[in-house]
Formats: sequence, C-alpha cells, structure tokens
Amino acid sequence: MTSLSLNDSTPRLDRLQLAAIAGLMLIGLAFVFSATMVTEAAQAQPLIKQFWFRQAFWYGAGLTLAVLLCFVDYHTLARWAGPVYWLHIVMLVGVMFFGTVRGGARRWFDLGFFSLQPSEFAKLAMILALANFLSRPAEELRQPGNFWRAMGMLLLPFALIAKQPDLGSAAVLVPTAFAMMFVAGVPKRYLLRCIGLVVGLVALLIVDVLFAPPIWQPIKLKDYQKQRLLVYFGKDFAPPNATPEERRRYKRLQEEKSYQSQQALISVGSGGLTGRGYRQGKQTALGFLPPGAAHTDFIFSVIAEEKGFVGSATVIALYAVVLFTGLRIAGQARDRLGKVLAVGVVTLLFSHIFINLGMNIQLMPVKGIPLPLLSYGGSSVLASLIALGMLQNVHIYRKGY
Amino acid sequence: MLIFDQLRKNDPQLQLLALVLGGGLLILLAGLWWVQIVNASRHRESVETQAFRSVRIPALRGEILDRNGIALAENRPSYNIDLYLEELSRSFRKEYQRIRPRQIVTNDLPLWKQWLGVSPVRTQYVRVKGDQLERAARYQVIATEAEKISAVLQSPLYVNPTNFHRHYAQLPFVPFRLAENLSPRQVARLKESPIDVPGVDLDIQSRRFYPHSNVAAHIVGYVRTDNSSVEGEEAFYWYRLPDYRGVVGIEGGLDRNYLRGHAGYKSIQINSLGYRQAETIWEPTVPGTNVVLTIDLEVQRAAEAALRRENQFTRGAVVVMDVRTGDILALASNPTFDPNQFAHGISRRDYQQIQSLTAEKNRATGEHYQAGSVFKTIVALAALETPEARFDPEDEYIVRENPNHHGRGYIDVGRQRFRDTAPPGPYNLRRAIARSSNAYFIDLGLRPGVFEHVVELGRRLHLGERFPTGVVPLRQEAKGNFPTAERVRRKDWRDGYTANICIGQGEMDVTPLQVAVMTSALANGGAVLLPRLIDRYAPHDPTGFATPLVTPRGVIRNYLGVSKRNLILLREAMLAETEDQEGTGRGVQPCGFRVCGKTGTAELDILRPDGRKKNTTWFASFAPYESPRYAVVVMVEDGISGGTTCAPIAKDVYIALKAFESRAQTNSLAANR
Repeated sequence: MTSLSLNDSTPRLDRLQLAAIAGLMLIGLAFVFSATMVTEAAQAQPLIKQFWFRQAFWYGAGLTLAVLLCFVDYHTLARWAGPVYWLHIVMLVGVMFFGTVRGGARRWFDLGFFSLQPSEFAKLAMILALANFLSRPAEELRQPGNFWRAMGMLLLPFALIAKQPDLGSAAVLVPTAFAMMFVAGVPKRYLLRCIGLVVGLVALLIVDVLFAPPIWQPIKLKDYQKQRLLVYFGKDFAPPNATPEERRRYKRLQEEKSYQSQQALISVGSGGLTGRGYRQGKQTALGFLPPGAAHTDFIFSVIAEEKGFVGSATVIALYAVVLFTGLRIAGQARDRLGKVLAVGVVTLLFSHIFINLGMNIQLMPVKGIPLPLLSYGGSSVLASLIALGMLQNVHIYRKGY
Repeated sequence: MLIFDQLRKNDPQLQLLALVLGGGLLILLAGLWWVQIVNASRHRESVETQAFRSVRIPALRGEILDRNGIALAENRPSYNIDLYLEELSRSFRKEYQRIRPRQIVTNDLPLWKQWLGVSPVRTQYVRVKGDQLERAARYQVIATEAEKISAVLQSPLYVNPTNFHRHYAQLPFVPFRLAENLSPRQVARLKESPIDVPGVDLDIQSRRFYPHSNVAAHIVGYVRTDNSSVEGEEAFYWYRLPDYRGVVGIEGGLDRNYLRGHAGYKSIQINSLGYRQAETIWEPTVPGTNVVLTIDLEVQRAAEAALRRENQFTRGAVVVMDVRTGDILALASNPTFDPNQFAHGISRRDYQQIQSLTAEKNRATGEHYQAGSVFKTIVALAALETPEARFDPEDEYIVRENPNHHGRGYIDVGRQRFRDTAPPGPYNLRRAIARSSNAYFIDLGLRPGVFEHVVELGRRLHLGERFPTGVVPLRQEAKGNFPTAERVRRKDWRDGYTANICIGQGEMDVTPLQVAVMTSALANGGAVLLPRLIDRYAPHDPTGFATPLVTPRGVIRNYLGVSKRNLILLREAMLAETEDQEGTGRGVQPCGFRVCGKTGTAELDILRPDGRKKNTTWFASFAPYESPRYAVVVMVEDGISGGTTCAPIAKDVYIALKAFESRAQTNSLAANR
C-alpha cells in the first residue's frame, strides 16, 4: 500500500477536482442553511436537528468513506463488484416490502436517524459491476450475448427502481450505462439500435400519454407521472370530452400540479443577474417554494434566486470542472476498467445535474432527482462522495503502483 | 487548457462524450440566461403579484365646524375586535388534526407478513374529499374564539359562517372583523380581562359623526361608505379599508378637494398560504382639511326651530345673511333628516320616510319658487329710477273694486284680468308696499321704461343664474329663472307676462338664497354680495403652525346702481309694512329690532286636495332699520300668507340674532380683557 501524502513528487490526487468539490460542498452547506433557517421555529431547533448541521455531518461521513475507498485499488474493488451488485439488488427488492412510504413511493429504509435510499447506492453498484463486466477483452464485447448480458445488468436495477416508483432515478441509469458501453468499445450498431429503440419507446409513450384516449394506453403510468408529463408539455389534463364541471376540476388540479415547477421557475428568474442576496430570497421565506423541496430537489432555485445568474453560472462552472477533470481521469486511466468506471461516474453525475437544473428552469419535467453535493440528503451526499472517491481512486492508481 | 490535454489524445469516444457533456452544460447555461437575464423582470413581477397585496388606507376626514369652532361633522373612534388570521393558523391546523376522522382498517396481509407477526389492524387517517373538513376546523376555531370573547364582553357574538369563509378565501391577509362599534364599557372589559386567545386585537377606526344630528343637516350634507379611488390615486387595490364619500352638502361639495384628504396605501407581504407576513406603508395618508362655516349653530338651530313652530313637517326655508359681509349665519330647510343615518347604511324604512317627506331637498338653495310680492320692491325701485315713468311715490293711484269679488281690487291688462288681494281705494307707494297691492305694481310696471329697468336690475342681481363655482358648494343649487333683455324685446313677449313678473309670478323663479342676496342689496345700499358660506379652510395640523385659508369677506358681485334717496324711500315703505297698523308683515314684531320687510304670497296654478290653490309664502326682511346688519328671508310652501305664516318665523330668528349679538359682544369683551 502506498502513502497518499500530498507532498509526493507526482500528484496522486486530482487537486483541481478536489477544489471544485470543496467549493460545491461549501455552497451546499451555505444554501441548505439559507433554505431551511427561514422560520423562528426552525432556528429554535437544537443544532443536531438543523439541516445544515446534518448536511455537514453527511459531508464528513461521505468524505471519510471516499478517503477509505482510496486506500483500496479499484481493481480490488472490481473483484467485489458481483457481490456488491447483487447485495444492492436484494436491497432494492427488500425496499419494495419493508421500505417506508412517502408521497406514494416506497423508496426508503427507515433507520431511525436516517432514511437510507438504496437506489442511490444501487446506481454506483451498477456502475462498478458494469465496468467490471466491460473490462473483458475487446473481442468478447463484440459478441451479442455479452451485449445483452450488459443490458440485463442495466435493466434489472432500472426495473426495480422504476417500480418504486422513481422513474427519475431509474432514467439516469440509462445514459450512464450507454456511455460506459460506448467508451468500452461495444460495437456502435448495437448501441445505436438500442438508443433508437429507447428513443422510439419514449416518443411513443409521450405521444400515447398526450394524445391517445385512455383505453389506448397499454403502458400504465402512475397518475402523477402522467400529470408531470402533461404539465411539462403544457397540455390540458382534461380529456377532450370532459364536461365543463370536470374541466374546472382538472384545471384546478393542473394548477396544483404545475405549482412546484412554476414556483421554481419564478424563483430562478427573479434572481436576475446578481440575485437578491444571501438569505434574502422571498420565494423560500414566504413558502412559495415548498418547504420540503427547497433544500432538497430545488436547492438550485434557492441559489439562483439569492445569487442570480452569477451564482448559477458559478455552480455550473464548478460542476464543469468536476466533470471534465473526471473525463481527464478517464483518459489517463491505466486500463479499460478505470476508464469505464470513471466515465460511468462522470455520466451519472452529469445526468443528475442536467435533469435537476433542467427541471428548475422547465427544460425538463419535474423529477425527484437530487443535485449532487448540493441537495440536502444523506443517501445522495454519501453516494455522490463515494462516486467521486472512486474517480479519485482511478486517478491515484493510474500508474499501477 | 490542462483539463483538455488528455482529451486531445486520439480517443474519439471520450472526445464525443466530452462534446455531449459540454453541450449539455451550455444548454443549461443558455437556459439560465434566458430565464434569469432575459425574462428576469417578468419573473420578478410574478413574485410581486403573488407575494404582495396592496391595501388602500383612507385618510382622516376633515371636520366641518361652525363659525365658533363647534363641530357639525366630526370623527369619532369606533372600537372593533379583529382576529388576525395568520396568528390563528396554528390553531386551525391543530383543530383539523383533531377532527380529522380516523378509521381502523384490517389489511389483507400476505401470508409471510402474517407469519412475521405484522399486525393486520391499523388506524389511518381518512382522506376527506375537498377542503370541507379544513373549513369546518377553521370555523370551529373562530366560533370558539368568538365564544370566549363574548363571555368577556357579556354580549353574544355570532360569526356568520358564509361571511367568514368568504373572507378567508378572498382576504386571508386582512384581519377578520369579529365585532364592531363596541360600547365604552365593553372596551373597558376587554382591556381589563386578560384573554388567552391568540390573534385578537382591538382596532380603532374613525367613524363620521354628526353631534347635532339634524341641525344644519342640509348644509353639512351626509356621507356614504364608499372605498372607490378618486382620480390621481392608485386605482387597483386588493383591499380597501372602509372610507366615506360625501354625497351632498358641504360633505359632498368639498369632498374631493378638501375633506377627504389623500388616501395612502400599504402593501402587505403574504406567504404561500395567503397569511400576512409583513407590512410596508408606501404612501402615508394626508388628512383632510377642516372646513369652518360662517353658520352660527345657535342661530341655525333657532331658524330651524322657527320653521317648525307651527308644524313639524312645514316645508320651508330660512336664510340669514349678514348684509355687510355676505356671511350666511343660518341656512335652514325643513323637513330635515339626521345625517348619521346615512353614514353607516340607512334602513329602507328610514329612507322611505325621508323620501316621503322630501326631507332631502335643500329648500334654501336647491329649489326655486315664485317670488310673489317680495319682488315688488325691485319693481318699485325700477320705477323710482326711471325718469320717463314720471313716478311720484306720493301720487295716489286709485284701485277699482273687482266686480266679481267684493272688497278686492283688480286690474285688466289686455284681455287678462289680474285679481288683487288688497282692497280697492287710493294707494301711494308706502301703502302699496304695506298692503301689497297687485294693481298698483302692475300699473307701475307697465309705465314706459320701467320693465326694462326691472329686467336690468334682475340681471344685476344675477337672478336666473347660479352662484360662481365654489360659493355654494352644496351640490344642491337651483339657478331659478328670469327673463333676459333679449327675451323681453321679442315680439311674442306680451304685457300679461310683464304684469306677472311685476308681482313676482309667471316667468320667474328664485331660490330663498337669491332673495336673501336681493334683500341684502336693498339693505346695504345697493351692493350685490356673494353669499359667504365658508369662513376658512383649516388644514389638519396638530402643531398649529399652518395658517388657515380665509375666504374673502364682502365680495361685491355687482351694484344695483340705484340712488341712495330711492333706497331710503323703499326702506321707509318696507318699515311701514312691519310697523303700520295695516302692514301685512306686522307678525315679525316684537323682536327687538326695527325691521324692514316685505311679505309675499305667490299663487300657483296647482290645486291642493282641499280645493285651494297651492302657493308659496314669503317674508323678506332686513334689520335693524337704522343700520341694517341682517337679512332674514323666510319661505314656506303652502303657507296661509306671507304675513301670517312667515313673519312670525322671522320674528323667532330675529330674537335669536339679538342673542347672537349679545353673545358676540360678551365674547369680544372677554377677549379684550
């Protein structure tokens, strides 16, 4: 085992990336504080119950895990990919039975002080397993059988997560897996066909939801999923043959449903160039951004309102640094395993960032997807930091010491 | 750049991936630019509209005072109990949790769960459709609060659920009014007892109050509750605190520019539930200007009482004017009403009563009447001033006896016969005025040049014209009628018309105020004054440094242009009317003054139910004879005659004026000491 001393003559850690990560964590801490310390009641809470303090704790825990992870060569980790993968599959199955229900979805294990969201970690498990699988010799990757096995490794967690239901988390798996396969060298024709298939299916689904009469909908989406799509595409909820009374009811429903996304957009937009100032955001203070979502999925709205375009561009720049240093790590990796692993992590992060930010500015339908490192949430923070730890791992062991 | 160095290596896959990632981030950046820079102002506006509610705050209304500073219209605090809904929101939630139905369900558990020992019995909340339950919870909370407060106040309080729900749905950021207009005793109880109910506050609001109720009601006028914006004021508000709008009288006429002041406005920041979060006053209110009238409350009160001396429902008017300054000391109209009734919503029954009495009419300024014999003074003056008429006031003119009516005179003009109430016999000017002979004055009027002069004097008196804007700002002003010189010169003008005018009938109508101006002109030597109803505008000013704007005294609008000698002649004749044995105006004595007067009874061609013709009776007078100070004009609809009905009313007024003078003297003595 080698030392991880930063004073080593060759840089082992990607310091630029570390700096960007540190910056994001500071921003996360500051704005979780800003988003939650709005009422006197919240300020009167004991420290241990305050969100920013808990977030700091998760950062600490995540960093510890990441550092620990760096002591083990990623090749060693890859050897455990199979058991880790299956362990997570079991957890995903288990959460379907023993998980607690919140907002109509069964996603969490209630551990008392902490609700564990296994899907966050299952994403990493899939990346590790898929990277391990894709590190086999190039000729083997050209066999259709292996391609379908790789697809299977994607589809199993995808189906389980989608069933929770958590379509957003499931969806980010798809680009991640495809990017990994693409970089690993799986023949393009397979991928293109598959992408074609996926795009076709999604298009069909959307057209079905938007235009087809209810009896023609073979794929049963949950009501709320359908409504989110309708909101996103700006379509009326009411079916064309609705009575005026029904139409009114649907209209009210629609207003309720588009409320979150509308309020997020207003928050972001009202930030202007430089924002209203730290802790001066009106949308959070007055509760227009739903209190449960302001510090989690919609943390970006808070940042954007209070720090304006300057703030949001800074966030994007920091993410860009993390992503592109990630790609550099992939490029410098000593073998295909490292490269594919790094690409998996980078794509996963990117998917999260794109969907979450996109949803804040109505570029994407509303999905319950956290913003890595910024959103409040133990599972999300831990998973993000572990993922980044794996990236650094690939970097540290690039020379094969 | 350092990051991209590695990507430059020949690795097409990674390059493509980098391209996709970079493109994605650029899309996000462009989206943010669009939302945060291009459309920023639109989104800011959305924040404003959803987070702020503008509320109009009415200004303190100016008071209306009499010449001695006694308030005729003032603002009194009214105490109300308000419930601040934002402070109750927690109670609402608690109550909702309490009354939310629960049910025990037995789940049909899978075998393995039963085997694990999971209990199939659970209690769970029932989803209730709509917000019926929340509404019920809120109402329950409010009703409980009302109960607690009513225990303190010792009077029952009832909250109408429909009102409350409507208020909650529309104006949750405005406190809900639980009780209005508490008695002082209730206020004391509320202050003394510590109530442990959240969100209760005592609110003070100013209410318009008329302490002398129906005294000077027609001058003061009345207000109605009305919150609408006036010109030049913010037009759109979410909510308007109650305000008044003057309808008639001074309240109406000086509403916009003086009494009302400027409404302010505040914006209330609300949260997503619609409750109030904070308040900012953007525009403070500017209190209205106080208006001091020339009216003397005691003279006014006496004038009104005098009108009612015979009958409470007498329809008539009294105008008391200072002939030197134009000050209106009293302007009474009867029947009258209590303006307090209007300010806070008048009941249908009360309003119908007011309407059936025609009490809203201001008979002193807002209605015109046939002048009758009162106008003969002007005809006499015109004749005296017309040399070609060769009129000698001492000449005797013989009135012949009416063949159809024993003991009454008459005169024929063309084919028209004018009856007279005066007996036949010889008349000079003095007697003709005293007995009010129609034949005498018709004869005068038909002499060459006299009628032209009458018309000219009428023009100089501005008969048939309104007073200049702002002189009588009561919103009840009739202009009357009077023929113009052109009208009289036209071919279709006939002698019969002239004859009618000469006895104050036919094509002329006057208001009692116009007659008062006319009488003052006779009294003060021929100056046609502007009546002066408003003494000064005193800005609301607690520090006392602002100087009030005093309206000019004794503004002369015109001169009659008649000789002093002739005026004295006329004055003598008018004195005879009240002092001679056969004078028709003797009823004015004794009153403490030597009074120059002229009675009048104008007959209308309208029959009353009892068969007599409707009429208008007058008594136009001024006093004291030696150096006139006051003009008192009395008009009564359907009186018996000017002398019988109106002169005694004038007597009462003169007695009040005597008291007014001695009061003024005492005051000035006290001030000098």
